[in-house]
Amino acid sequence: MFPSPDSPKLLPVIMPQLGESIAEATIVSVTFAVGDRVEADKDLLEVETNKAVMGVTAPCGGILRELSATIGESYAVGATLGYLEISDEDAERLGLNDAPPPPVEKPKKKKALGISGAGEAESIKPSRKAVEPTVSGLPVPAHAGGASFLSPRMKARMAELGLHAADLAGVAGSGAGGRVTIDDLERFLQDLERNTISPASSMRVAVADAMRRSWTRPLATVVLPIQLDILLAHRKLQAVKAGPALYALRALAITLSEMPTVAGRLIGDRVIHPRSIDIGFAVEAEDGVLVPVIRHADQSPLVDLIGRYNRLVELARARRLPGSDTGGSIATITNYGVFGLTMATPIPLPEQSILLGMGAGRITPFWDQEKKAFVPVTEAQFTLSFDHRVLDGGAAGRLLQRVSNLLSAPEEL
Amino acid sequence: MPLPPLPLAGTLSLEGSREPMSSITYLEAIRLAQQRALKEDPRVFIYGQDIGVFGGAFKATKNLAKEFPGRVLDAPISEDAMVGLAIGAAVEGMRPIVEMQFADFSTCGFNQIVNQAATLHYRTGTHCPIVVRLPSGGTPGSGPFHSQSMEAIYAHYPGLVVMTPATVEDAYTMLLEAIELEDPVIFCEHKFLYYHLKAENLPATVGEALPFGKARIARPGRDATIVAYSAMVHEALAAAEELIQDGYEIEVVDLRTVRPIDTDTILASVARTGRLLVVGEAWPWGGVAAEVIARVATEGFGLLDAPPQRLNAKETPVPYHPALWGTHRPTASSVANSLRQLLEL
Amino acid sequence: MTKANSTKTKGSQTKSSEGSSAVTVARDLSRRAYLTMLEARLLEEKLAALYRSGKIVGGVFLGRGQEALSVALGVHLRRGDIYAPLIRDQAGRLAFGDTTLDTLRTYLGSSLGSMRGRDGNIHRGRPSEGYHAMISHLGAMVSTVCGGLVAKRFRGEKGAVGATCIGEGGTSTGSFHEGMNMAAVENLPLVVVVANNQYSYSTPNDRQFACSDLLSKAVGYGVAGHRAVGNDLVDCLGVIGEAVAAARRGEGPQLVVADLLRLVGHGEHDDASYIPEAMKKSPLGRDCLELARHSLIEREWLSHEEADSWHKAVEKEVEETASKVMREPAPDPSEEDWNAFASPSLGRNLKLGGI
Repeated sequence: MFPSPDSPKLLPVIMPQLGESIAEATIVSVTFAVGDRVEADKDLLEVETNKAVMGVTAPCGGILRELSATIGESYAVGATLGYLEISDEDAERLGLNDAPPPPVEKPKKKKALGISGAGEAESIKPSRKAVEPTVSGLPVPAHAGGASFLSPRMKARMAELGLHAADLAGVAGSGAGGRVTIDDLERFLQDLERNTISPASSMRVAVADAMRRSWTRPLATVVLPIQLDILLAHRKLQAVKAGPALYALRALAITLSEMPTVAGRLIGDRVIHPRSIDIGFAVEAEDGVLVPVIRHADQSPLVDLIGRYNRLVELARARRLPGSDTGGSIATITNYGVFGLTMATPIPLPEQSILLGMGAGRITPFWDQEKKAFVPVTEAQFTLSFDHRVLDGGAAGRLLQRVSNLLSAPEEL
Repeated sequence: MPLPPLPLAGTLSLEGSREPMSSITYLEAIRLAQQRALKEDPRVFIYGQDIGVFGGAFKATKNLAKEFPGRVLDAPISEDAMVGLAIGAAVEGMRPIVEMQFADFSTCGFNQIVNQAATLHYRTGTHCPIVVRLPSGGTPGSGPFHSQSMEAIYAHYPGLVVMTPATVEDAYTMLLEAIELEDPVIFCEHKFLYYHLKAENLPATVGEALPFGKARIARPGRDATIVAYSAMVHEALAAAEELIQDGYEIEVVDLRTVRPIDTDTILASVARTGRLLVVGEAWPWGGVAAEVIARVATEGFGLLDAPPQRLNAKETPVPYHPALWGTHRPTASSVANSLRQLLEL
Repeated sequence: MTKANSTKTKGSQTKSSEGSSAVTVARDLSRRAYLTMLEARLLEEKLAALYRSGKIVGGVFLGRGQEALSVALGVHLRRGDIYAPLIRDQAGRLAFGDTTLDTLRTYLGSSLGSMRGRDGNIHRGRPSEGYHAMISHLGAMVSTVCGGLVAKRFRGEKGAVGATCIGEGGTSTGSFHEGMNMAAVENLPLVVVVANNQYSYSTPNDRQFACSDLLSKAVGYGVAGHRAVGNDLVDCLGVIGEAVAAARRGEGPQLVVADLLRLVGHGEHDDASYIPEAMKKSPLGRDCLELARHSLIEREWLSHEEADSWHKAVEKEVEETASKVMREPAPDPSEEDWNAFASPSLGRNLKLGGI
């Protein structure tokens, strides 16, 4: 409360700091009574500390208006013991007319510290902030720098749960820079429990891991439509028929024997060349994909591969593919056309640079320049998905062209 | 202009006026511990300046010279010889307590403490069971040579036990334990806590209390851990109170001893909270806070959800003026500030 | 107050003025002292040789030239006394009960030595037996010995004394000052022998102190003072014997100052070329061992043959002991507990970062 110009100027008498670490002192005697006039620097009262009896002096001359100190009682250093009414000049000099300083905090009731240290059990209802994404509407934080920071605790917990950074893509981060904190993670995981959860088969986990690892590379896909009429005619004449995928496999094998580096791998600044033209082909098995391999596919003609191929397909479907018949291939064929798909951008295996894909064959009109008319042809889109670090569109295109040429001369396969 | 309010005014009990007579101050606990030791163990004696009839600069030995004639002796101003004498007496089977008048003056006896007391057992197999009491830490206006916290310097030397009690009960039981230990103990008692901290009771036996070397959870929590010791425990507790309204539960660990450090309790706490702030009144360089963080980073790296933080005194000698002193060392509000930053990481 | 100079005069005058039993005591004491000096000298010559052949690692600090002064203190001490010898006190140590074996073990770093390789050379001792293991900081042992005497006083033990030696350089330290002052304030039975050997390492006295006579410090501290001729065994035995007796009688601290010359370098790594030739050739520079031999033979307390046979026997013992010790094992770091604490609860955590 601001003192008004007419009210008496009251100067508090404060218990002084009377020594190192002294916290309080006891009133021993009082020299003056209320109403007395006192002089500056004269003792108003005497107090006793642990060490000595000392006087408390009047900070200024004036009239003692109030004295709340009782003999025998102890008062804390800084406590107000009374008030002196002082003159206006003195009040001006001492700054009493200025806005009062913020009040000295009353000592809060200290929580009793027992040996165990637990205070009284207060029921704490924390108003926990809801986890909000940093960019409204987007579950994924836009702040790449912050969001990618994973604390040691996060990494340890993720390792414990078998999680990768990819698994956290959908988790909003409440930490600095939008990073996902351990609390965000735990809440996310807890929240998942509200959904129906089924275990992922080991096949699914394996495929997930392979795709995740493959995707860390810059992948691209090029497409070439290939006419299959000649191939289909050739196939009709065979006693034992090879599937279209096997035709493609042979074509790819011959192509790669001519240009092996497109199936090489880039490790650092070195291109690792393939050792032998072993080509895998994708077979859908329960809950995933298996990739049996035809070894040295460049060295046997098509007719000799048929039996081997069919056997491998059976084994794969039955999930009884031996280890020696899988792995180690340098390229893979996938025939997504069997699902009716005309186009796809499949992901090459993580250890391979190229994946040849075959779409469904359809009869489409083709402009025959000679006949000056549209003629029906059976055409399928062939895709080459590739690791763009190892080869560019040009090489990819040339590979597809060569495959196309070979498929148009099936007697050479 | 009025002096700024005493730091800690909001946290410690300053209800001096209407306390029941049975209330025991931190200082009185130290006095009582020494009294008990003198009474129960004839090998104990106390050596220090002004501790005889005068009862000590802080009255930690008030009336003890009278009660135990010849065993509470006034020393000349010779910190080196005081400690040397204690060492020699301890070798002959006594249990000397050396009272340094201020921790800051122990540097005059530094050589005897770190080069003889700390090395005696390692070099010769002979025990050196001395206790050196250091009135430590700052009070308003005490200035650069009456305010220091020396625990990190002594803890650096293998062979010394360094105690830093934060409560009245610990001041009592840990001093009794210190006297019985076979190793030299540097007992850092905090001057500000002497008269500002009170308790209703003392434990009847040392066995009732947490043994020295074990840290205490002064306040259980969930969102972050503050590790502190001595007077800073009370600042930490006040800061934790402040953070309740922000919705945070802060755990406070009272180290109690600085050497040995109870790494297990610290790690268990960080395992619960994932966030660590270490507060110390002394300077940051090579201090107790640095040591705690080094251990957590080495042994509990995978527990940390944010970089560990420390809060210490500003890097100057301790200033005299209370206004400067008030911000020189951590306070409840600067601790709360650091906590908020830690929690937002 | 300063006691009068108690230098004894030599010759028959002394003999005829004492009872024959006193003479016997003096004779036996002198013979024992001489033999101990001989042991110290020959042992240290072996240490010097071992050092120069690379068998001793670290420092070797010899007491050549100070054996008389040192042994004179050592032979007057007995079990129950507290002794903190310093660098050049091999003779005193042997008189107090240290052995050639442990000396060699400590210097050669044998794991069987009293210090177990954890400290070496002159930092050896067995404190629980009253034989302190000095620390390098000169002056620190004065108050430490005081502490032991205070403990004995608390326990009501009477008759023990505390003893330490120090060079004139050591008297410049604050801890020497504090220790002497404290001994005087507490009126302890402490005997401090100051070996004023003219050089502290390379520092001559005029750069070490300005008072004209070190013995004036006794007045300053309020203790009794005695002067001895540092390289004269008989004089040292008399003066120090009296000082020790006075302390035992309860007359408070006794400061003995003896002038002599260090006859070696500060350590064996030092050739002491800073000591002027003139000083080496002066009476101050005469070898106390030779003087003692001469003095004892003159008094007919010792014969040439005995002296020679003692010499041979000691030499042989030193040689044999050295050979034995050189075959003993060095400490094995993997066997160490690497623990500086005595309390069992503090030794358990030995991880990096320890406790």
